[in-house]
Amino acid sequence: MSGEQARKLTVLVAIWALLLLAPYWMPPLGGYTALGTRVLVLGLAAMSVNFLLGFTGVLSFGHAAWFGLGAYGCGLMLKFIALSTPLGLIAGTVLGGVMGGLLGALIVRRRGVYFAMVTIAFGQVFYYIAFQWSSLTGGDDGLRPFSRQPLHLGFATVDILSDATAFYYFVLFCFALAVAIMGFILRSPFGRTMLAIRENERRARFLGIPVERHIWIAFTLSCFFMAYAGSLYALVNNFADPRGLHYSQSGDFVIMAVMGGMRSFWGPLLGAAVFVVLQDYLSSVTINWMSFVGLLFVLVVLFFPRGLLGVIRRKSEA
Amino acid sequence: MLKRNFLSRISRRTVIKGAAAVGALQVTSPFIIKALGDTPVKVGMVDPLTGVYAAYAQNEVTGAKLALEQINVRGGVLGRPIELLVEDSANDVGTGVQKTRKLIERDGIQFLIGDVNSAIALAIGQVSNEKGILHIVSGGHTDGVTGKDCHWNVYRVCNTTSMEANAVAEQLFTKYGKKWHFITPDYAFGHTLQQAALKDLEKFGGTMTGNELTPLGTTDFSAYLIKARAANPDVLLVLPQGGDMINCMKQIAQFGINKQIHVAGLQQELESLEAMPPEARVGTWMFEWYWKQPGVPHVEKFVADIRKMNFSKVPTARHWFGYTSLMTYALVANREKTLDGVKLAKALGGFELPDDVKLQPNKCYYRAGDHQLMTSSFVGQAKTAGKDDVEDLFEVNTVVPGDKTSPAESDTGCTLQWPA
Repeated sequence: MSGEQARKLTVLVAIWALLLLAPYWMPPLGGYTALGTRVLVLGLAAMSVNFLLGFTGVLSFGHAAWFGLGAYGCGLMLKFIALSTPLGLIAGTVLGGVMGGLLGALIVRRRGVYFAMVTIAFGQVFYYIAFQWSSLTGGDDGLRPFSRQPLHLGFATVDILSDATAFYYFVLFCFALAVAIMGFILRSPFGRTMLAIRENERRARFLGIPVERHIWIAFTLSCFFMAYAGSLYALVNNFADPRGLHYSQSGDFVIMAVMGGMRSFWGPLLGAAVFVVLQDYLSSVTINWMSFVGLLFVLVVLFFPRGLLGVIRRKSEA
Repeated sequence: MLKRNFLSRISRRTVIKGAAAVGALQVTSPFIIKALGDTPVKVGMVDPLTGVYAAYAQNEVTGAKLALEQINVRGGVLGRPIELLVEDSANDVGTGVQKTRKLIERDGIQFLIGDVNSAIALAIGQVSNEKGILHIVSGGHTDGVTGKDCHWNVYRVCNTTSMEANAVAEQLFTKYGKKWHFITPDYAFGHTLQQAALKDLEKFGGTMTGNELTPLGTTDFSAYLIKARAANPDVLLVLPQGGDMINCMKQIAQFGINKQIHVAGLQQELESLEAMPPEARVGTWMFEWYWKQPGVPHVEKFVADIRKMNFSKVPTARHWFGYTSLMTYALVANREKTLDGVKLAKALGGFELPDDVKLQPNKCYYRAGDHQLMTSSFVGQAKTAGKDDVEDLFEVNTVVPGDKTSPAESDTGCTLQWPA
């Protein structure tokens, strides 16, 4: 095993150890388990944005739409059709992913700032649908009442509704599943093609890579991951509301991804952790907490363009 | 030599004994003092201190802080002081839910207040219900909180959307005429308001000349206003809120529509009137509480107390919401001599507020069937400028008791499910 591989393995073990033991080390530090759950879900969402931004090189500013659609899909399933947490997750993921895939076919024809604008536009379409269609979505007041259901595993039933720790591990399991698939895709030849497109789209085209189709596939996959994270978010809150689809929410995800380090796989998770924890602590202290989060973001962009994880990595390599 | 030995032996024992004593002190003595009543009763408040509702939320917090001061001076709750923990929901449901869990799980609060945003109020009502924590919604108006989505542990201080509509309707009809035209913001809240007002209008035997649905964020209302003027109604009802309402009122003033047709709206807040240009402050509105109530006991003192904490500005309805929410908790807990959520929730059904808290002429009580506070509506006219005080921007004509504005308990759609 080379030094590089050994280092990667230690980092991976450290990350998973931290995540697995979170319910034990967080409370003594003044945290609480529900905070860890939120970090995981928003981290997964930021990683999905990064799947597109960091690895394919296109910036979507409307990804909250797929996130929110996932939340609504999950909520509608639990409210109207079946009282089952896994079915809710599947419904949300499929709704957001399929809608993303369909509209993605239109969106990927544009590049750069036009791509970002079109994603905002489509995102806002879904925001207003959720806002206006009161009879189905509950409109401005949000979709309710529904709640996550206990998991029946055949040999045991896990109560994820009232047991915060059990729910954390459920979300961690779902998170691990998505991250494993994401890592697998990025290591596959398709993942390499995405990097090639990111580095030089014209060269990729000359090599005979159908760039549009590949970007579309990357976009669609990213939407599925996003919708999956959104479904989990609906389970976290037992609620879905239109603001989850709003472009300002997309902005938060992009901030998390960029702050953590948008070229690295784990960076967005770190970004989400910093964002959520900062918000949680600072907003209890001062109403001007957004200034501090914004200041940190500006500093990161100015001085550490590779994000917080980029800094840590460079330090450890030096 | 001997002395040193002796000293070292003593010091080792002293260290051990000392450590044990200090350890015991840490555990026992404060515990005893705490048991005697020095541990504060923790109370949580989740409100959107940032975002579009920031002004309202901050006023609610100021009101709650005044209540906190007064309660603790009078001996707190069951002899224990109250500690108020305020959290910012950032006008986002996810954040609000998160903060509520933080308050309940980590900080161990006994009672929860919030939120101004109706969606967040509903979402955190689910959380407080799951955890069995008594909860008063201070400022979220949507009917559901004390209607279809009601919970055994959730009470509400501010009016429901339907109550707001009912408060104004009768006076408008008898005073200004039976042909009404609506300008309605095109989303759930607007539709609820419009339908409630229309129902009243039809009950009195009036007619609607038209209903203009305006998208959220409309800046140019001229097309709607021209249509409304052409329909020649007696009353023009302006239902948009916030920035939309300000834009609409400005254009009504520019077109001089308020000189031909009587302009009215439903709920209005002092914060909004103060944010408007003077010429737009016209029409008949309903306030949920107003600071100028000559002859009503304790109101002047409340105004003076809030002025001291509020850069000498007068209290708004929002101050009163925050104040009343926390006062209610202290009053009912001290009366029942318990902090048990279920017992207190049961006791609050039918609980009547005393004069120094209700600060209004009519009877003010929590209804047992839907947990809604039967609070008065202050119906009157907006004023372009205050006469004695720059903040006196409203002329109260009538104070309608909550029993008259509220739909019957059976019509709210609320069925309370008490824990077994």
